[in-house]
Amino acid sequence: MDSLYGLAMRLTRNGADAEDLVADAVAKAWSAIATLEDRERVRAWLFRILHNCYVSEYRKKSVRPVEWSYDERSVDGAEDDLASWLGEQSDEFLIWWANPEREFANRLLGQDIMAAIEELPEVFRTVITLVTIEGLPYDEAAEILGVPPGTVRSRMKRGRTLLQKALWQHGKDAGLIAGDERQGCRI
Amino acid sequence: MTDVKHDSHPDDIGCLEAINGLYAYLDGEMNDPQAVRKFEAHLEHCRSCFSRLELESALAEHIRRSAKSRASDRLHDRLRQLIDGL
Repeated sequence: MDSLYGLAMRLTRNGADAEDLVADAVAKAWSAIATLEDRERVRAWLFRILHNCYVSEYRKKSVRPVEWSYDERSVDGAEDDLASWLGEQSDEFLIWWANPEREFANRLLGQDIMAAIEELPEVFRTVITLVTIEGLPYDEAAEILGVPPGTVRSRMKRGRTLLQKALWQHGKDAGLIAGDERQGCRI
Repeated sequence: MTDVKHDSHPDDIGCLEAINGLYAYLDGEMNDPQAVRKFEAHLEHCRSCFSRLELESALAEHIRRSAKSRASDRLHDRLRQLIDGL
């Protein structure tokens, strides 16, 4: 139940809507329980019902406007290449990215990370929720979202890098990133 | 952006290929054993890519720890009533 609520929260970004969404999804699932063929995949089945319910009934009344700036056509193209995306970023960000410091993750507060995820476009925060938080394999996440596994792979790459960029900016603003010693970019 | 090949390792996949495979590796989605071997061999001598994997792993773990949502007692009660009424 907590997982369903977690996904609903990531989708709606609103506690009341998230509870309504879970209730609607559970009601739909309960009435369709006979159609569940593989009981070992009940979690993915529930996620799919909840996501479909969100898309068909909640997305349009979301408190915040839906953001859609991601070109799905890039999935099989050069734009899916992480290096290509990085090539478009500022030198300052690239230097930081290419000289990773594990401790940076430890300096971040959980609430900062969750705020950064919440600001991601819906397609990215949804796959990050399913794959990183819920630990689902790409093919199950793809089935839930009704997209090819390659799209999940692409969204995970892009979503993570967008998240890192947001966290880098936050780290810079909050003085969590060391400055002078971060030289010697190798990429 | 340029690729970095490690000259002392002739079969090295290079940093660009490693970076492009990093997330699949991290998510357990690198299914080709040969690709895994090449990726791990690259990490053994590339401090930059090794550190990136460490940071990505730490961030993923941090996300998992921070993201745990708990459905309220109110929601549990609501669902119980809902199911009882169906």
